[in-house]
Amino acid sequence: MTATRTPCPSFGELADYWTSDITPDEAEQIETHVFDCERCARMLAEADRLRVGIRDLARSGNVQAFVNDAVLNRLARDGVRVRSYALDPGETVRCAVWADDDVIVARLRADFTGVESVDAEMRFDTGEEWAQATDVPVRKGETELVLALPAGLVRNAPTVPMRLTLRHSAGSSGERILAQYVFHHEGALERP
Amino acid sequence: MTLTPSLHGLYRSVVTSPRATPLSACDDGVLARAVSGASGEDASDAETELYRRFAPRVRLFGLKHLSDRAAADDLAQQVMLVVITRLRTGEVREPDQIGSFVLGTSRMMVAGKKRGERRRAAIFARFDAHEEAVDPANDLALDGSRLAPCLAALRERERTILLLTYYADKSAPEIAAAMGMTSGAVRIGRHRALASMRDCIETRRAS
Repeated sequence: MTATRTPCPSFGELADYWTSDITPDEAEQIETHVFDCERCARMLAEADRLRVGIRDLARSGNVQAFVNDAVLNRLARDGVRVRSYALDPGETVRCAVWADDDVIVARLRADFTGVESVDAEMRFDTGEEWAQATDVPVRKGETELVLALPAGLVRNAPTVPMRLTLRHSAGSSGERILAQYVFHHEGALERP
Repeated sequence: MTLTPSLHGLYRSVVTSPRATPLSACDDGVLARAVSGASGEDASDAETELYRRFAPRVRLFGLKHLSDRAAADDLAQQVMLVVITRLRTGEVREPDQIGSFVLGTSRMMVAGKKRGERRRAAIFARFDAHEEAVDPANDLALDGSRLAPCLAALRERERTILLLTYYADKSAPEIAAAMGMTSGAVRIGRHRALASMRDCIETRRAS
């Protein structure tokens, strides 16, 4: 007698197995299926490697992303050295990266009233684009966005002023500039 | 990680010998029946194939429920030892349902380990002892240099969801509250992001 196998879950559904979102019943369903399906067992292992890889990458500070305090707290707990700069709209800040820094954080304050998402771009004074991000989510009542950059990336950036611009996401009506910030990058420094 | 002596030969043959081609095409039930009631020598290829197929699944199950890679490795060996021994002695009543049998054995052993863990924790608490948790190196982890460009290629929203899920260990409702989304949208975003990551890694591997 051969048992009727349930349909294969999607990769995303299998990956939920490794999160706290899955209920015990859902976990049991996946386990029952995976013990009868080698293909899904392989995909479940692949999802595990992916989550471990993402975790390790974040822990190493090698991720460029808009984050929140939950991620910063985790970095602090993991011993990742974070240097922060906080800027109001229109503000210029002198900044540098030190030899023992792992992650550079820019706290970008602005009035985000009525804004659900923004696009961000960083350009050198020459106009050349250095980095950009689209569809950065903005929570209702948010007063700042937190951009995390790998210190290694900043360390290698040219020591010229860089302008960071936040705009309403492209999908929104118009392309209103929300705020601009200028970073006077002074390079990589070492303590005497 | 230590190998139990009786599994050592089986493990060695799994990792060192080329895969047995005809058996690898067999149904799980056919393999289980080949082991069931056969003498050790006759069934060694089928046992090897059965181990190759099911040990990784037990390891994943262990990883979920024991949250420790070394413990998951040990569980895989212990479960497969029990399963193969029971098959050899004809104690598995329905070899065609071998997947269910392996899962059931895994569940029982995890429950037993957790009971033992609770007893151990109670003793530690009583004597105020401490134990350092060690995260063993994971040689199967994806190389960061392959992963980083794929993570960077995601939309910002999706990247944040993955970081909050897998690094900050946040649930979908917590992420939803932090990002001004619904829990359902977080899960959908996560599924989409993972599918993109998987495609990206596969494409880079192929090129």
